[in-house]
Amino acid sequence: MTETGSAENQAAQPVAPGTVSETPAKKKGPRGKVTVFGTWCKGCGICVAFCPTGVLSLDENGHPYVEFAEKCSACHWCDTHCPDLAIIVEPIE
Amino acid sequence: MAHEEPINYYEYLRPNKKYPNVWCSGCGIGVVMGSLIRAIDRIGLDKNDVAVVSGIGCTGRMPVYMDFNTMHTTHGRALAFATGLKISRPKLHVIVVMGDGDAMAIGGNHFLHACRRNIDMTAIVVNNWIYGMTGGQYSPTTPLNARATTAPYGNVEQAMPICEVAAAAGASYVARTTVYHATEMDKFLEAAIRKHGFSVVETVSYCHTTFGRLNKRGGVVDMMRWLKDNSVGQIAAQKLDEEEKAAKIVRGVVCDVEKPEYLDLYQQVIDRAMEAK
Amino acid sequence: MDIRFIQGNDAIAWGALAAGCRFFGGYPITPSTEVAELMARELPRHGGKFIQMEDEIASLAAVIGASVGGLKSMTATSGPGFSLMQEHIGYAAMTEVPCVIVNVQRLGPSTGQPTAASQGDVMQARWGTHGDHPIIALCPYTVKQCFDLTVAAFNMSEKYRTPVILLTDEVIGHMREKFEMPDFATVERVERPHIPVPHEWYRPYGDTPSDVPPMANFGDGYRYHITGLFHDDKGYPTQRLDEVDPWIDRVHRKIERNLEDILLWDEDEVEDANTVVVTYGASVRSARHAVKLARAHRAKVGLIAIKTIWPFPVEAVERATAHARRVVVPEMNLGQLALEVERVVGRRKVTRVNIANGEMVTPQMILDAIEGK
Repeated sequence: MTETGSAENQAAQPVAPGTVSETPAKKKGPRGKVTVFGTWCKGCGICVAFCPTGVLSLDENGHPYVEFAEKCSACHWCDTHCPDLAIIVEPIE
Repeated sequence: MAHEEPINYYEYLRPNKKYPNVWCSGCGIGVVMGSLIRAIDRIGLDKNDVAVVSGIGCTGRMPVYMDFNTMHTTHGRALAFATGLKISRPKLHVIVVMGDGDAMAIGGNHFLHACRRNIDMTAIVVNNWIYGMTGGQYSPTTPLNARATTAPYGNVEQAMPICEVAAAAGASYVARTTVYHATEMDKFLEAAIRKHGFSVVETVSYCHTTFGRLNKRGGVVDMMRWLKDNSVGQIAAQKLDEEEKAAKIVRGVVCDVEKPEYLDLYQQVIDRAMEAK
Repeated sequence: MDIRFIQGNDAIAWGALAAGCRFFGGYPITPSTEVAELMARELPRHGGKFIQMEDEIASLAAVIGASVGGLKSMTATSGPGFSLMQEHIGYAAMTEVPCVIVNVQRLGPSTGQPTAASQGDVMQARWGTHGDHPIIALCPYTVKQCFDLTVAAFNMSEKYRTPVILLTDEVIGHMREKFEMPDFATVERVERPHIPVPHEWYRPYGDTPSDVPPMANFGDGYRYHITGLFHDDKGYPTQRLDEVDPWIDRVHRKIERNLEDILLWDEDEVEDANTVVVTYGASVRSARHAVKLARAHRAKVGLIAIKTIWPFPVEAVERATAHARRVVVPEMNLGQLALEVERVVGRRKVTRVNIANGEMVTPQMILDAIEGK
């Protein structure tokens, strides 16, 4: 964690209970970053079919690609079911 | 249920081995390999102390991809090779991966005796109900009436209940799950490896290339979804009547008992022999 | 001086212990069970381990597994079990894992006569398992040789990373003779060489000047792969001819270039003999008597007792029979090693003396053949 982000640290101070926070709620971004390794992926379609939030879609060759990256909830369904270990999900803080 | 910090699978794969792996696109064996790697990673085993032994068949080709002490033995005999390896190097965590035919047909005798001896190792039986490598012949776990290249008019043999056989033969930890339930598989594999004694994990999978095609079960996604819709936990299974239950794959821990382990008992033999010297 | 009066089978077990054998996986079968029984008693005393497996297939599998784990390992069986072990003899040859398989031959085929002797597995010892593969088979004919050739079997199996078959028979196995048990410390042992290279550089099947790549044990930190498939120098499966052909050449060459160390035999007055008896195992005992009788009749008879029957000692037999007009080959089968002798000295010179009903070849049968009756 670099030191330069000190401004955000102040904004993230806990708000005392019962008071209304002035700062607007931050829109919840993706919690995971999905990467598909094309050379290892055989296009079986499991990850696309079972991703609970529809992050992945099939391209014209039937290979998965990340279409809606912001929807990823880092549930790890795809990387725990990929038969070729061709997909990884890195957590986003 | 996300991981604390993400596992790096590639630490556990052999860098100088050709990838992607040899299995058909979407094969469940790859899912079992990923789950095994996660279980080993979570326990934190030293790679030098892990040995993975396999027999012949699609599952047999798993160990070579992993950066452990790996042995691809003969059809049905993986457990016998592993028994000798474990006895000669007890510090090794020995994991034996087999298919349903490898473990229960030609390997059935060795399976019974490995369970009976309760030697400290883990057997993973990837059960996809068919001999996939040789193109779709029926196996001891092929369902009644299902089609196979050697059962063109329907299989007329009762399927072998792997977990019940293992528990009856004396294994001290037995569990069943499917490749759809990968997180549950991680849990069972971790418990099986940690268990001091012979443990069996049946991972029900599918073979869309042979069984799926011969029995019109659809493709990879259909067969994966079939596992989700046709398996049930042990608690839910109690609500089903016998007939309904027979049609389902019942997931869960079939047995988890404490029993004397073979090598501990043989150590007593060594102690007695030394006294008698 | 530790003088004993023991059976061949016992001497085999003691020889194994002296050679550093620390694992025995076996299954009861007449007439070799005594080897297993002695190992079950003695191995735990020598820091070793014994296991009785569920069948002979599992027995040799466990032996190979234990050898991969770092223990010198053996099994002992007889005909029916030896037949079951064939696939794994091939696996040990392909994966170059040292191990010793004792076959105390009994009358076959099939159940045959379990307590009767035979030498009917000679060709099985060479070609029992499928595919072209090198093999070493040693054949004792005294109780002392049961000890010495078992030690030699272990040392050769380690030195050349190959399965070695100790082919004996019920006669030698159950025969008692005086035997002086040596101090094990004086017995020469070949150990697996230390591997100097770091893990990433280790090639379990790499090309080496000796044709025998050093073998690391599982658990030593060399995390390599073993498979019965044709494999490259890292042990990974391959079908590439530029990797398969070199393997075939190397694995056969590692035996053929070391025949001087591997081939063992005894000779008795063959230099100017016009008749030479060529034999092995229990038949040597009858042959020695027959030769004595023949020499009493002033016949010029020589004897060569072969102790390494595979690879077949071609030059030794050629030299020993160079001046002989007749070569007599007695064996307890219908003619097996005789085929090799005929190949070397020519069919016309050879007189076979065969019996395959469980009885031994008698001295009289051999004498009649020597005298051309």
